[in-house]
Amino acid sequence: MSLLEIDNLSIGYSGIEAVRSVSLRVEAGEIATVIGPNGAGKTTLLGAIMGILPSTGSIRLNGESLTGTDIEHRVERGMSLVAESRELFTTMTVAENLRLGGFRLRAQGQAALQRGMDENYALFPRLAERRTQLAGTLSGGERQMLAMARALMARPRLLMLDEPSLGLAPLIVRDIFRTVAALRASGVAILLVEQNARAALAISDHAVVLEMGRITLAGKSADLAANPRIVEMYLGAGR
Amino acid sequence: MIRFWPVLVIIAAFGLPWLPGLPLFWVTLGNEIGIAAIVATGLVILTGIGGMTSFAQASFMGFGAYATAILSTRYGVSPWLGLPAALLASGIAALAIGAITLRLRAHYLALGTLAWSVSLYYLFGTLDLVGRNDGISSIPPLQLAGVKFVDVRQSFTLIALALLASLWASRNLLDSRWGRAIRALRGGSVAAASFGVNIAAARMLAFVYAAVLAGLAGWLFAHLQRAVNPTPFGLNASIEYLLMTVIGGAAQLPGALLGAGLVVIVNDRLQDWLPLLLGHAGNFEVIVFGLLLVLVLQFAPSGLWPLIARRTAATRHTIGTIALPKRATPAPGPALEVSGLRKRFGGLVAVADLTFSLSAREIIGLIGPNGAGKSTSFNLLTGVTKPDAGTVRLAGRDVTGLSAPAMARLGVARSFQHVKLAASMSVIENVVLGAHLRGNASPIAGVFRQDRAEEAALFGEAMRQLERVGLAELADRPATSLALGQQRIVEIARALCLDPSLLLLDEPAAGLRHAEKQALAELLRKLAAEGMAILLVEHDMEFVMNLAARLVVMDFGTRIAEGPPAEVRRNPAVIEAYLGSAA
Repeated sequence: MSLLEIDNLSIGYSGIEAVRSVSLRVEAGEIATVIGPNGAGKTTLLGAIMGILPSTGSIRLNGESLTGTDIEHRVERGMSLVAESRELFTTMTVAENLRLGGFRLRAQGQAALQRGMDENYALFPRLAERRTQLAGTLSGGERQMLAMARALMARPRLLMLDEPSLGLAPLIVRDIFRTVAALRASGVAILLVEQNARAALAISDHAVVLEMGRITLAGKSADLAANPRIVEMYLGAGR
Repeated sequence: MIRFWPVLVIIAAFGLPWLPGLPLFWVTLGNEIGIAAIVATGLVILTGIGGMTSFAQASFMGFGAYATAILSTRYGVSPWLGLPAALLASGIAALAIGAITLRLRAHYLALGTLAWSVSLYYLFGTLDLVGRNDGISSIPPLQLAGVKFVDVRQSFTLIALALLASLWASRNLLDSRWGRAIRALRGGSVAAASFGVNIAAARMLAFVYAAVLAGLAGWLFAHLQRAVNPTPFGLNASIEYLLMTVIGGAAQLPGALLGAGLVVIVNDRLQDWLPLLLGHAGNFEVIVFGLLLVLVLQFAPSGLWPLIARRTAATRHTIGTIALPKRATPAPGPALEVSGLRKRFGGLVAVADLTFSLSAREIIGLIGPNGAGKSTSFNLLTGVTKPDAGTVRLAGRDVTGLSAPAMARLGVARSFQHVKLAASMSVIENVVLGAHLRGNASPIAGVFRQDRAEEAALFGEAMRQLERVGLAELADRPATSLALGQQRIVEIARALCLDPSLLLLDEPAAGLRHAEKQALAELLRKLAAEGMAILLVEHDMEFVMNLAARLVVMDFGTRIAEGPPAEVRRNPAVIEAYLGSAA
């Protein structure tokens, strides 16, 4: 049994079927990635898995069906989503953002919350330096780190990242991807949605290619990285 | 039947109050409803259609009432001459108050007008000129051919005719060039501004028009009540007018009469029943109205009128055959030259030193990964946002930093990534908005229907553009009932109505089917051949690569490559921008 099992998932809104019968698996402790050009339906797919968008088909986490459950339930069951737009609480400090991320731990007391914060500060030393700074004053890369750390505060089993490289300079993108790769060691499974195909394929175990709402390629990331179809998908076939 | 309804209403206006057995009290109530409905009609245009909430309509009514009261009591001026004075007084007051207050938006504007309402109420109550709290009494009645309008039944006729005139004028205004500008204000005015609508002027027009109708109501009120004091022009009255508009159906003219009728009648009944029910007197009707408002907003957010009358059939427009004058065909040469364009938002540099040029008869594609700065560049080129540095030249002329309407005047037309069509308008009405700058009829000409020849020509042009893009048979459908892909094509027809020399299209092929894409490519090639310069932002690579002769590739706000599609596709920098580099 895989950690996340998605079968025949279709998502439609305002008359358009944005995602059509997608099936994919994420194993515990692995990084899976969904790559594809703009408008392929990647963000929509994450939205449906998180319960933000209605969908048809089956979504199972650790064998439990999540069909028809709300976002709060899915968070309680161990899902976290880092949205493309980061969605930070910009008028709160870094520490306050993390505290809110740890809302799920509220029953376990202050000590558990503090432990979570310490772990995240260790993972992202930059955030430790800036813990009293308002989130709205952070740079783009720091914002992405804070968004990831806040999601990790809920101690998810499955962390979903939507375009963590978006709008970031290449050096910072490299940092972010190194951190994502390092997270694998902590045991959390990661579903990574990226336009930056090369970086995503380099750090992931499995990958699927989404085009126009359908999966057109799937396989081991190392194999896909060598596939010339990937360039065509982004820049046309040149007929 | 429909054609004769004004005649029927006029017969009713004269005959109804004289029906045998009709209690006089009902006629009085009818008069109250009629005057309120005139004020509410103005609010339909201002709030329901223009999206500006005003808590000061009773104050504007006050300006009209006091103007005619002062003239007729102190200077012996005929009450009939008091009418233009009343309209002028409320109009000028709205112009002055609007000049200060209309730059506020949404809730702030509502609060601003609320503050005016409160302060004007106290001003009326302390100013000697208007008789302080005692007001002005012994106002002469209206008189026509020796008949004095002192009987409520005679007043009914006058009020009914005034209401009819207000509804007629308002309908005419909405069906004119400026009326469409007001209708396009709601839900974002960027699209209207991009087609040359002076947004501030359109907002002011709606504000002044609503105030002038309130002034008309004030004039009637002064000469029929024959006494005025500050109370009927206070905040409570203003709130009641707004309540009528919201309950009746804020976006439709008949809703004004329905809302006024409901509120006045319910108010009257409640004042009788509530004390009986509760055992003692008090302003309990306010609580009931509060509940009523909550219920209406909950269950019929667009008011009660739409529940009674299903959407009325689309207005028939005369499609003229006379062609509008066209812009001179631009000389071959650079239509657009962009150099060193730069824009930062806080710490983020969205566009950094973007340089490229575009000639007449050329189609180029602006491409790049998500977040590369394409949309920001588009907004910089169309005057929606102002660049921090760099220059934009249009046919050799420096246009850096010009506003969106100014760019439209120079022949720059655009479509939007997120379709911006006015939901309350039909397809052709949306398209004709693109020709806003090609007409020059004033709002007053619109109100009095003196703009028909120009309107026919504008609608003729809109129809030609709809035919050109192949959507002529959908002209009268509500714009937002079309599929998303078709709405994009409607935006292109609207852009063509401007008679542009430079066409900027933001993802025109998104959501189109294969055949539709081919038809669109065909159309764009034809437009370019006719002399237009076309810039496309597009994610559909097959579409843009087959269409554009040249591609400009952006990443991190700057141009990383430029050249023919086949070359760009092999460019390692482009491949890296799209696919990223392995970490």
